[in-house]
Amino acid sequence: MPMDKSSPGFLNTIAGDALPTCSAACPVHTDTREYVQRVSMGDYEGALDILLEVNPFPSVCGRICHHPCESHCRRAAIDEAVSLRMIKRFIVENTRQYRIARRKKAVQVSKDKSAAVIGGGPSGLTAAMDLALRGYKVKVYEKDSKLGGMLAHAIPRYRLPPEALAEDIEDILATGIEVHSGCTVGQDISFEQLKKDNDAVLIAVGLAESHSLPIPGTSGKGVFLGVTFLWDVANGLCPELGKRTLVIGGGNVAIDIARAAKRLGPEKVYMACLESRDEMPAWKWEIDEAEEEGIEILNSWGPKEILEKDGAVTGVRFRRCSSVFDAQHRFSPTYDDSETNTVAVDSVILGIGQKANLDFLAGSAVSVNGGRLICDRESMGTSEPGIFACGEVMTGPGSAIQAVSTGHDAAKVVSHYLETGKLLKLPNKKVLDIGELPAVTAANARHFDRVCVELSDPAERIKDFSPIEPVYTEEEALSESRRCLSCATGAHLQFPNHCAGCLTCVRICPFGVAQVRRTAFMPPQQCQTCGLCAAECPAFAIDTLRFPTSAMKTAVEDSVSALDPGRIARPFLISYCCVNGTTSRKYLGEQSAEEIMESGILRVLVPCVGRLSMADLISPFELGADKVAVVSCPEDGCYYPRVESWLDRRIKRTQKYLDQIGVGGENLQLFNMEGSGDESWPRIWEKFRAVNLETAVGNL
Amino acid sequence: MIVADPKPFLQVKGYLEDFQKILVVGCGTCTTVCLSGGEAEVQILASGLRIAFGKDGRKKTILEECIQRQCDLEFVEPVLSRVESENIDAVVSLACGVGVNFLADRLGKTPIFPGLDTTFYGANVEQGLWAEMCAGCGSCIIAHTGGICPVARCSKHLLNGPCGGSEKGRCEVDPANIECVWQLIYDRLKRLGRLEDLRHLLPAKDWSTASDGGVRRSTREQLYDI
Repeated sequence: MPMDKSSPGFLNTIAGDALPTCSAACPVHTDTREYVQRVSMGDYEGALDILLEVNPFPSVCGRICHHPCESHCRRAAIDEAVSLRMIKRFIVENTRQYRIARRKKAVQVSKDKSAAVIGGGPSGLTAAMDLALRGYKVKVYEKDSKLGGMLAHAIPRYRLPPEALAEDIEDILATGIEVHSGCTVGQDISFEQLKKDNDAVLIAVGLAESHSLPIPGTSGKGVFLGVTFLWDVANGLCPELGKRTLVIGGGNVAIDIARAAKRLGPEKVYMACLESRDEMPAWKWEIDEAEEEGIEILNSWGPKEILEKDGAVTGVRFRRCSSVFDAQHRFSPTYDDSETNTVAVDSVILGIGQKANLDFLAGSAVSVNGGRLICDRESMGTSEPGIFACGEVMTGPGSAIQAVSTGHDAAKVVSHYLETGKLLKLPNKKVLDIGELPAVTAANARHFDRVCVELSDPAERIKDFSPIEPVYTEEEALSESRRCLSCATGAHLQFPNHCAGCLTCVRICPFGVAQVRRTAFMPPQQCQTCGLCAAECPAFAIDTLRFPTSAMKTAVEDSVSALDPGRIARPFLISYCCVNGTTSRKYLGEQSAEEIMESGILRVLVPCVGRLSMADLISPFELGADKVAVVSCPEDGCYYPRVESWLDRRIKRTQKYLDQIGVGGENLQLFNMEGSGDESWPRIWEKFRAVNLETAVGNL
Repeated sequence: MIVADPKPFLQVKGYLEDFQKILVVGCGTCTTVCLSGGEAEVQILASGLRIAFGKDGRKKTILEECIQRQCDLEFVEPVLSRVESENIDAVVSLACGVGVNFLADRLGKTPIFPGLDTTFYGANVEQGLWAEMCAGCGSCIIAHTGGICPVARCSKHLLNGPCGGSEKGRCEVDPANIECVWQLIYDRLKRLGRLEDLRHLLPAKDWSTASDGGVRRSTREQLYDI
């Protein structure tokens, strides 16, 4: 099936059609919550499956995505957003073999129609792949020798190494797309020929050329166009820069240019832009990193003239830019000519924006106005039937993931056209999200620091184009994944008829979320999924969507039923462990029956042991366990407030009951792990199994 | 609501020694709310019985069920059918005594045992704490006592208190846990500006409306021919 999803309602939620804010903000609506939760349970491969459901460029996005998911992460109301991009990067870098193994064979062409895609960037490749998956014959025409578009040529390799891009592209090509690289439409093959050979043509040429500036001096030696400069850098051509270089522009591409220039050896690199610091379109973190590398940013200056002497650049004269936008926030700069500034430099790089090269359309019926392709945003159709557009050539400058999103859309409209000969108007994508985390809930939540990685030392990193950001270690990725609130997967009234409205949930909820409106109601947008209400509900009417303990009970029964009681090493210990304590997959994987019988230990991993009910604590003894250990977080380390004290009460009540039923309360014990679970769990198990061997119950 | 406490486990187990196939039935109303007889407690008791009998080397079949109320025929009928169709030897009820009685009247030859001790009509005064508030005497007098019942909440059921055992607002029977209700009544009437009411002594109570008058019934003419 094609990767695109016709509706974002596929995400499993208890909040109706509303998506978690992270998924709603992502242009392709990645099921962020699910991949993060899979990581937290050690299922990195399953997490990759989720990524690839909607995004053929997870390796790229793990490196360079501007992560709108993080910008909308509800955890920010508590402390800081979850580092989702870094978790994504961890996933792709730790599942390479699996990714190759899961790669499907080329899709058989099953339809007698074909489409040509002009441009092998993220948008064109996404569309091509979706169309190939739908059974069409697809040919991609890329003017360059390498696929990837701006990803391959304009993003410096210290941010996006070619290997990362290659991983994604290999996957896409495996679907059986026919690629004509080094083939410039309009030169090597005419646009008319493409139309003749195919039933539809998709223009996905991006914005591959830089704008120049209408000021004197732009043709002098030492003046470079930004995209050309980045292309040269990416292809190892090393443009010759002088000792002092100035980049004009304040966007993300300008930042890339300045930082790439810095790595080529100039003593001084400036950036100058019209915008004030707060107005700069570049991401704040990019600006910060550029400044760390010694790049000086000159804000609110408009270039008036590039100064030359003997045909070579000597400097740039600026005038003060008083304002950039008009009252309607349209680009309309005003200047104060009385304030000027001259910066002495010997190289200037123009990074003020890009445009599309549409020369190949000259003489065709496809309308171009002022260098812009005329395209209907809803149907993605151009002025000529059967010719469509996607990516930046349609949307204007945007992100890689936005380009991927329009690629998915383009595949939908093109295939509709191929089937019906008609245009498909895409519905306006109004995505509902679950809203911000209410302040009162956030105020009750515990703080956990975001796991940050340290970038390479700025003094070192400017020496070459080596990647500057380390990937998360497994411990870091697991730790960060557990900061995810797993929004809207919390408690819900599973059996409304059982609820007696007893108010226990209301009274025990550490976040003040649960309510009783005749029956219990846990607003899904607010519930933090601690599971306490489910554990204490006297009617067992409440369950959690994420990790329901009812499913856990069945899993434990299944595990035990596969064992030969006579061969289990005694005492047989069933250990409930808080999954948040693990720092590797060592104990996260499934245990074989042999392993359980040989070790005498069955691990049951729970995302917070506070959600174990008294019945959950007793049932292992019924299944034949001699001892039950409940291993919680280190003291005060629980993600949820007050869980420890409630759990402690529950354990004490259960111990008394076990005394009454003849099991011996001492055979149930609560432990706090010390340090990581990987280190402390074996010690706890060994010690507990060694105590009171003679009182073991056994052989029920 | 009606409050009931779990019986000691061994007492319940003792009732069941001679039976093989046992059904534990919870009640989804009062005893669920007072955390002694709902679905959760059914599972806990059933699991405990299986383990305890198993340890004795006597494997018994312990079945579980929890219905909305054990004091209404339509709700208990499925239990009665199940007992019949599954050849259940004995039933343990985690309802109040009402539920146990109601089922016993209808269970034919199958014995039923209480899993709870029914204690009082009370309120949930704090999380996990219930206190007696009403004695079900059949002729309510609390219009005269500020809405506070001396029949239920005075250890001696005095209608004109307090007695000499009231000290610093506490009852001599258990000063740590029992307030003197007559102190409460006094304070309440004072707040209401009706302390004068205390000058009018309550007459001797007619206890015939309470159980002393025989087993009581209550009818609704709109539904029942009186």
